[in-house]
Amino acid sequence: MKIIKRASVRVLVLTTTMVLSLPVLADEKYDKLEQQLQILQEQLLGVQQELKEYKQEVSTKEAQVEREVTTLKEDVAKADEWKHPDTLIHMSGYADVGYTSSSGPDGSFGVGRFAPIFHFQYRDKVMLESELEFLVDADGNTEVILEYLTIDYFLNDYVALVAGKFLSPIGQFRQNLHPSWINKLATAPPGFGHDGAAPTSEVGVQARGGFKLGGTYANYAAYISNGPELNSTFEDGEFELEGIVAEGLGTDADGEKVIGGRFGFLPLPKLEIGISAAGGKASVTAVEAGHGEAAARKFASELLSPGSGDGGGDDGFDLHAEQARSYSVFGADFVWTLSGLQLRGEYIQSKIGAANVGITASEGATWQSWYTQASYLIPQTKFEPVIRYTDFDSPHSSQDQRQWGVGINYLISSNVIAKFTYEFNNGQQDSAADINRWLLQLAYGF
Amino acid sequence: MKLLYTSKTRLFLMSLLFSLAAPGLATATPFPEPGDPIAGAKVWADTCSRCHNARNPSDLRDDQWISTAFHMRMRAGLTGQQTRDVLTFMQDSNVPINIKPMVFEGNSVAPVVAQSSLSGVDVYNQTCIACHGANGKGTVPGAPDLTDAKGVLSQTDEVLLEHIKFGFKSPGSAMAMPPKGGNKNLTDADINAVIQYMQEQFN
Repeated sequence: MKIIKRASVRVLVLTTTMVLSLPVLADEKYDKLEQQLQILQEQLLGVQQELKEYKQEVSTKEAQVEREVTTLKEDVAKADEWKHPDTLIHMSGYADVGYTSSSGPDGSFGVGRFAPIFHFQYRDKVMLESELEFLVDADGNTEVILEYLTIDYFLNDYVALVAGKFLSPIGQFRQNLHPSWINKLATAPPGFGHDGAAPTSEVGVQARGGFKLGGTYANYAAYISNGPELNSTFEDGEFELEGIVAEGLGTDADGEKVIGGRFGFLPLPKLEIGISAAGGKASVTAVEAGHGEAAARKFASELLSPGSGDGGGDDGFDLHAEQARSYSVFGADFVWTLSGLQLRGEYIQSKIGAANVGITASEGATWQSWYTQASYLIPQTKFEPVIRYTDFDSPHSSQDQRQWGVGINYLISSNVIAKFTYEFNNGQQDSAADINRWLLQLAYGF
Repeated sequence: MKLLYTSKTRLFLMSLLFSLAAPGLATATPFPEPGDPIAGAKVWADTCSRCHNARNPSDLRDDQWISTAFHMRMRAGLTGQQTRDVLTFMQDSNVPINIKPMVFEGNSVAPVVAQSSLSGVDVYNQTCIACHGANGKGTVPGAPDLTDAKGVLSQTDEVLLEHIKFGFKSPGSAMAMPPKGGNKNLTDADINAVIQYMQEQFN
């Protein structure tokens, strides 16, 4: 019993001790937890601060990227802007240099010509086109010619209205083939150059375009212009027509307009056949009397006022009363291509009627010329042989000419061409039209 | 009342002016409208060489081709649609030839297995025929004769794919075939289909 009591006392003491020590243990744990909480709070604050700083940094960088992207977009838009202006300015054209050797005089180098073409285009509505031609003559003087200057208004898909000085739509050579990088020989066919059978340019208005015709296409040009003027010469005691000046005259001395045009038809995609015609009136506005001027003046004065001996003053002949003569042009042309082979031909006839009134009254006259040409670009090479035959008939036998032109071209590129041309010319004996010659030409279309 | 009348008049005039100016404001859009490059290839092949050697698309910048195309509309008597078609063809073809993408290991220009949605004859008639012709003998200067047994079709399909895909200039030729013949929509599968067609038809 005594033992039981002692044990109970011990338990009681132990229990009491434990109970008394519990608060002490709890305080320690609480302190620890509080410390840990403080650490965690500090860490959380640190993380929050870092997050805030990170957010700020990201925000700053985002703003920076946005600014850079905006700048980049503006730069890209600006860089692309030159591609899409409402007004386009463009220059093309052609130039050539060369060497000519005739069977008569010694050969000589020639500058040829420089012919820049300017385009100023307002969207797809209006285009200003102009070609200048710079030439150096035999005396070394520079000559500038305005080949054409037009403002074209694209009315719709089928009609373009053209006003100004334009290349004559009669035939093909003058309006499309005369640039030296296009013409396959170094010279124009006789009769198709300046002062030939073909009119070169007109001043007036024109409508031109193309349209679908069944399964193929056709094209057209119709114009009204000032038309040409005439030159007369005094030979063998009478006046006769010397030539037609059809190079886009800025005035219409006789007030008579010329109407003309061309219709092109393509029965096959690579075959074009064209018919051209023009008609109107033209008057003599210049006299080339030459050595016979005195006789010409006397002749003219007798006509104007018999017995006066005056042909119209020192500054020229009085031509205000010259009769307007009939003027007509007819042309036909074709071109056919097959791979490297090209065949083309053209006929042109300009006819002036007779005049019964005026000091230069005379019979009518006809200028006509035709040529046919074949060229072939040898496959897988840059060599292109060419042959052309031309027959030019003029009222003046000294100008008549039949010509075989042969040549070999080397295409440095499609628009840079080196040409060697030989002309067998057959004209009036001892005239310039009878002299054979060879020509070297380097032509650049740009 | 007079004031109101004046204000209404001003408003009317401003509206009128705005409506008149509206077409002008619309001019900010690019011009001209895109044409059909496939039809343009035919215009280019049929028309240009009637007068002069056909120019390479890479001869000029895209914007320079605009004025050139309109100039040629006047010279050649093209319709407006033909002008837009040939312009789009020239611009689409105006990429340097033989510029290949970087080839990484396992990414070569070898023929792909994918099937074309077009038949070889369709691809040929749409894209190739303008210059190579229905008989494969070529319709424009510089186009090789595909019927030549020792000609271009004697090369491997891989070489032909590469030449068609990236463009090619034959030795001695004054002009090059533009990448994909100027039809940028052609896929490798389309090109393989047309190679198969040409091999069967011409070789």
